[in-house]
Amino acid sequence: MTGVYKAIFNLAIAFFFVLTLEGIGRKITARVQRRIGPPWYQSFIDVFKALSKHPFSNGWIFDFGVLMALGGAIATAAIVPMGSTFWTPFPNTDNFFVIMYLFAVGALGMAMGMVGSGNPWASIGVTRALTQMLGYELPYLIVLASMMFYYKTASIHLLIEKQAGGWNLLVMPIGAIVAFISLLGMLGKKPFDIAIAPAEIASGPMVELSGKYLGLLHIMHVFSIFVEITLFVDVFLGGGNFWWFLLKFLIVWILAVLISSVLPRFRIEQMLKFYWGVPLGLAFLNAFFVLMGWTL
Amino acid sequence: MAITLISILALSVAVYFISKLSWKVGAVINALAGAYLMIYLFTLKVGSSEVLGTLFGEKLLLTYTNASFYFSFVSMLVILAVMVFAIKWLDSQKYPSAFNMFLLMMTAASLGVFFAGDLLTLYIFWEIAVLSSMLIVPMGKKEARRAAIIYAVMSATGTYMYLYASFMIYSRYGNFNLAEVAKDLANDPSMPFKVTVYLLLAAAGIAKSGIFPLHTWLRIAHGNAPDAFSAVLSGQLVKLGSYVLMLVTAFFPTLKMFQGLELYSKIPSPNYFLLALGATSIIVGTLMAIKQDDMKMLIAFSSVANGGYILVGIATMDAIGFEGGILHVFNHALAAAIIFMAFASVVYRTHTTKISEMGGLIHKMPITFISYLFAIISLAGIPPMSGFISKWMIYQALVRKGMFVTAFIAFFGSIGSFLYVFRPLAGVFLGQLPKKYKDVKEVPAIMWIPMVTLVAISFIMGVWPFPILKPIEAMRADFAISPSVKIADASNWLVRGVTGSWNPVIVFNLFIIGFAIAYLLYTLFPKPKKVDLLAPHKEEGAPINIYTGGEYIYTPDLYQYNTKMYAGFERMYEKHPSWEKVLDMLCKFFHDLGQLVHGWFFRPSPSAYAFWTVMTLLIVFWVRW
Repeated sequence: MTGVYKAIFNLAIAFFFVLTLEGIGRKITARVQRRIGPPWYQSFIDVFKALSKHPFSNGWIFDFGVLMALGGAIATAAIVPMGSTFWTPFPNTDNFFVIMYLFAVGALGMAMGMVGSGNPWASIGVTRALTQMLGYELPYLIVLASMMFYYKTASIHLLIEKQAGGWNLLVMPIGAIVAFISLLGMLGKKPFDIAIAPAEIASGPMVELSGKYLGLLHIMHVFSIFVEITLFVDVFLGGGNFWWFLLKFLIVWILAVLISSVLPRFRIEQMLKFYWGVPLGLAFLNAFFVLMGWTL
Repeated sequence: MAITLISILALSVAVYFISKLSWKVGAVINALAGAYLMIYLFTLKVGSSEVLGTLFGEKLLLTYTNASFYFSFVSMLVILAVMVFAIKWLDSQKYPSAFNMFLLMMTAASLGVFFAGDLLTLYIFWEIAVLSSMLIVPMGKKEARRAAIIYAVMSATGTYMYLYASFMIYSRYGNFNLAEVAKDLANDPSMPFKVTVYLLLAAAGIAKSGIFPLHTWLRIAHGNAPDAFSAVLSGQLVKLGSYVLMLVTAFFPTLKMFQGLELYSKIPSPNYFLLALGATSIIVGTLMAIKQDDMKMLIAFSSVANGGYILVGIATMDAIGFEGGILHVFNHALAAAIIFMAFASVVYRTHTTKISEMGGLIHKMPITFISYLFAIISLAGIPPMSGFISKWMIYQALVRKGMFVTAFIAFFGSIGSFLYVFRPLAGVFLGQLPKKYKDVKEVPAIMWIPMVTLVAISFIMGVWPFPILKPIEAMRADFAISPSVKIADASNWLVRGVTGSWNPVIVFNLFIIGFAIAYLLYTLFPKPKKVDLLAPHKEEGAPINIYTGGEYIYTPDLYQYNTKMYAGFERMYEKHPSWEKVLDMLCKFFHDLGQLVHGWFFRPSPSAYAFWTVMTLLIVFWVRW
């Protein structure tokens, strides 16, 4: 039963912490661009305001897609360990692949619902997002595969425990760099915000969203960010107590925001060529080092 | 067993004549025969053996093993579903009676392949299955005749190699019996012989399950065959190939046979060769599927990719990899059968297979859509459908063995599958409905019931996979692949891998809870106002202006995004080398050679005829035949 409480705690942290961080991120971007920016609680205002408005719906698949997206994201956020074995809701089910593929449910739900709105901008955005997935997932999965091979486990909380001697950031620095580049793609941050691209395709998947649908998908996005960054922190930045975890989370987020606030957007094939070039090569190099036993 | 198989074969001929009177009665008899066979499988005892007859002094043996049970069960699931589906669907077909006959004949023959206790029996039933299915293929589209020929030639390439290897084995050991041959092969000192026999036998499986060099028939045969039969082709017949591949890699003790040939991570190089072919199929199948506009060809290429997964899983010869490969047989069989039946339903109503000509069918055919949706979730390997479990197992094996390149390809195929399964989802079912499909209706219950049943089975096996894992564990024990490892742990609700475990029930419950919370939030906030896809669109020809940048739209059909969906990505491999073109060149070469000979011998002039007659007579006299 404690697992369930921990899962609820996961969701609460995901919601409040990440929404706060989003606000902070907006503030940082503004300061980089020499603006003042919104207050740190702006994202809370956005979400609750969107939720309270009367929306338009484009049929049952639109509703179902939004529910599936949010449901999938909630399910994933509920099983991710937060930086230590103690904060692992379900120690038997925190397998990396399970988390990775559970995560895909939310993406599929969102894709389906948004294309169900019948707007071509949404379809274009979704196909772009899927193509981008093909880009960033591959280097990331290779790095994670080499790590699982090294530690002989795919369970996230065991991976955290095994880093007691030294963070993976230091054991496999190449892998950590590759995973961070992939993380930027996962977050859809600036050089990789091809799927949303407000100037080109009118925010892509989000084009037909109104009122509470926008609010619900914002919450889904928040849970996704939580899962993505938590996985990175767990796997590369070692364990520690809960506050340590939040601090590391914050640092990774600020780094991502800083990078994204100064870079322009890639085109879709530029993005693929980029990911399948240096990051994928480095991922294989990392795997080779692991095979040879040349880790720091 | 022998009597049942032969009587079903005889019944298939009877079904033809009954169908001539009323094809509906024939189809119902087919379905009843299928149901009977399904029950019959559960009454047979594992390990029982029977003599079918004798051929040239050789006993034709039937043995019922755990593998026979598993593969026959999966086959019968698919075939039975299609048989029920066909009861209504056949009214769109030109030759229903022949379809009924060949379908039942093929069913009996495939079961014969799985029951076969020796190489010769397997070959005989194999050829019956190939021939009867080959005769169904040309009943489809216009191009289907050519498809049937290509299918037959590709299949024959494999089977002749298989037959040659069988005779090699016979001349060496004087035996066709599978169990005896396995023992003999394990003790044979000659490595070249073992490798040759292994690869030649595997060729039949490679041709049948659409593995790389012999995969081109899948696109053309699955794409052009009668729509419901594509479900059998992709869901069941291809699995005959997987069965043979399993026989040669796992039933024959390859790890013992090829001792000293280990290439990497304790996998012998002949196995590794097959594994590389499987990996190539994953790449080829995925990349080609992404760019298809014909939905049936798209899933045909996905069958190539999934055949690759099965082969990769089995060829690792690792406990969890083997189980993953075998479980993938079940998962892909069900997913492909559901998808092809859903497409058959769509074609039944719209008469086209082009994604670019459709759209918005979801509001017209919701049940078909739901079946397709669940099937693609399984095919893409997303929990809680059963497809995830087998992919997870294969990844486990690849990661554990440190096979990063193969793992990379497996990941690529998996994420690529998101791309290609989404294409029909968005292009056919979602988006704007073209005007010509305004009056399309959902298919009748007899057609959607089999689809929904298969979806339910796949779903239940995704949440509680232990019943289907049981025969697979038994198979693994039979083949003695690390028998000490236990993967299905039903008492703790866990699926155990080498690098950690997971609990499918918890994952499913999380889903339910996730949805429940999402639904709660959804109901908590203001109710939506329901609008049409093109909100202000009142009557025909009225101008529409939403999110179009000031342009007016008069035809909603043009507002559907379903051609060149992944243009950015497709452009990157536009100029890819094509194996089909290589085969076409080969084809042209032989054709030209034939023309040359033809030109020499059949000159349209009497003098040439006289010349060849004289030459022939001279040679005959000279050789003194």
